[in-house]
Amino acid sequence: MKRLILEMGTGNDLYGENYTKAACRAVQDAIHHSSLVLFRSLGLSHEDMQVNVTIGVQKPELVDTQKVADELPRGQAIVTVVKGGLNVQDTDNGTLSVIATAAIEACLDINPDDWQLSR
Amino acid sequence: MVMKKVAMELGMGTSLRRQDYTKAAIRALQDALWHNSLTMADAFGFSREDMIVEVEIGVQKPEKVDIKAVKAILPYGKGSVQVVHGGLDIAKPASNNSSTPDGTNPDRADTDNTVIANAAVNVFFDMQPAAGRGSGT
Repeated sequence: MKRLILEMGTGNDLYGENYTKAACRAVQDAIHHSSLVLFRSLGLSHEDMQVNVTIGVQKPELVDTQKVADELPRGQAIVTVVKGGLNVQDTDNGTLSVIATAAIEACLDINPDDWQLSR
Repeated sequence: MVMKKVAMELGMGTSLRRQDYTKAAIRALQDALWHNSLTMADAFGFSREDMIVEVEIGVQKPEKVDIKAVKAILPYGKGSVQVVHGGLDIAKPASNNSSTPDGTNPDRADTDNTVIANAAVNVFFDMQPAAGRGSGT
């Protein structure tokens, strides 16, 4: 498997302390800053794409990985959650904001011998 | 030339106080580029320098964008930059206007704007299936 792209994004849940929601928003931010046009241009299949999603939040155990995987429109998603992201505590007002980071790797089985530059 | 588009990256940038269209364009381009790390050149066994990178910027005053400065942001590949009318300018509320109280500052003759630039980056390789191989159509 060769990695085609690493997409990065952040998402938050400002007042709900919902780590899954923050993670899903981070995934949406990551995937909507780019488009893998090569699948169309080169006639490749999305089905064969493996998508490795790594989420960073302060409380990894509170993320529903299935819901995060459902955010990915194409390919086979594998979601891993680690301790990361950032929690911002407002002690004056008694609120907690949850920030999630998402890193998404899109991988495909490409044989470099199948392709060449035109010149 | 068999230009194959392999990726598109999107970004947004702003100039909040100085109405600097070039700065907003540069930030939009950086937002587009640094949200992703393209590793396709490696995957296909090409060099990153083989990438053909076409940048399109949208701002409300295209003539105010220094194209050379925007192009200088591109880290590698053969780059080109095009600026079109787009993006968005939003007038600041009068009370936040930084012109002199009587409004006579000639540099601030027109209303201050918050400037928003859009950037789209299209990445190509001049590529084709290797002779007698490949799944390309």
